[in-house]
Amino acid sequence: MAYTPQYGPGQSVVAENRRKQMNPNVKLEKMRNVTDEDIVLILGHRAPGQAYPTAHPPLAEQGEPDCPIRKIVTPTDGAKAGDRVRYIQFADSVYNAPSQPYQRTYTEAYRYRGIDPGTLSGRQIVECRERDLEKISADLINTNLFDPATIGIRGATVHGHSLRLAEDGMMFDMLQRCVLEGGTVKYVKDQIGTPLDKKVDVGKPMDAAWLKANTTMFHSLVGTSYRSDAEYIEYIKRIHSLRTKYGFMPVE
Amino acid sequence: MADAEFPQCRIVTERLLKPETVEKILNKLAVIPGIRRIVINGPSIPQKVPYGPARGLDNPHSGKATIRVGETDVDLKVQVGTFLLELETRDIVSQVEEACKEVFTNFSFSIKEGKFMRSTPTQVDYAKYGPNANEIMLGLVDPKNKTGPTLLQGNR
Repeated sequence: MAYTPQYGPGQSVVAENRRKQMNPNVKLEKMRNVTDEDIVLILGHRAPGQAYPTAHPPLAEQGEPDCPIRKIVTPTDGAKAGDRVRYIQFADSVYNAPSQPYQRTYTEAYRYRGIDPGTLSGRQIVECRERDLEKISADLINTNLFDPATIGIRGATVHGHSLRLAEDGMMFDMLQRCVLEGGTVKYVKDQIGTPLDKKVDVGKPMDAAWLKANTTMFHSLVGTSYRSDAEYIEYIKRIHSLRTKYGFMPVE
Repeated sequence: MADAEFPQCRIVTERLLKPETVEKILNKLAVIPGIRRIVINGPSIPQKVPYGPARGLDNPHSGKATIRVGETDVDLKVQVGTFLLELETRDIVSQVEEACKEVFTNFSFSIKEGKFMRSTPTQVDYAKYGPNANEIMLGLVDPKNKTGPTLLQGNR
């Protein structure tokens, strides 16, 4: 019988959301329409319309060595063209943000090729070839993986994911890369904090009910508590017990 | 040593505050007689971008504002989320709570009595102020900071 991945345990809505995000057969919901040009502006790696700078000649011109692995693996568009490796980094508030660092890494690893995600406690970075990055970033920003208020696109100085939200519901950002204006969030600086010539609109913040129903984070005060998910507790206890006993005798 | 007999209380709000709200609550607190010292706390908002490729660029931020408390201008350098108060008597706490209820209408807050300010000098305090430090300065401002505390005109 063919193996069907389960993606993760749990009966709660949080567990279900985690599985939906990870499962590449579930289409991510499109929530907003940030243009490619605007995404290039937020990323800040090149000017919109500028040709992609390259790190090496295109693979077709480079003369590849005779290698069985290269025959199996099709290069991504960015790799084929010899693009530089660039990044996007997110900080996700603990107050019911739709995604969170570990979840992002799992999701991206299941859904995209040619990426190098880096997971940290308060931020998650994903590196890949520049033109692939722009496509992936568009997915990460325009779908239900993103909320303009509780998720920040922050290349440096990311502090804020575990702080209380501001009065207007925005996550703290010491560089204030985005501001809430007339009900929509606008980026006024790129991800590293350089001011932008024009404001980039990333849409309305989602309301508290949507966030609670779509988050992939447990939170006992503002969301679903971890203890309320019996299956998750059972799973974590099993993992804990196996890891504890592993050095002695790895059998159940 | 600071006199540890003065009661202290801490106000923590559910949300980090806008400068306008901070101005409103501080003006309410400033007219309550018997508050000796107030410390406002929160995550810092730097003047310049501190890290990364944009390091050294100016950092425009709406939280970095000058507010007016009584007749005095106060430069905010943090996004305020906590207030520490030192009081002359404990009965003022109810007046402080009343002031908070009037200002913090859209979100909750908690007010707690206890000991929150430093009463003995740290090594850094000692290096800055020497052995005869003014006790009222301890725990009030960061000793490494060049700007001192703001003095509000007394109301009696």
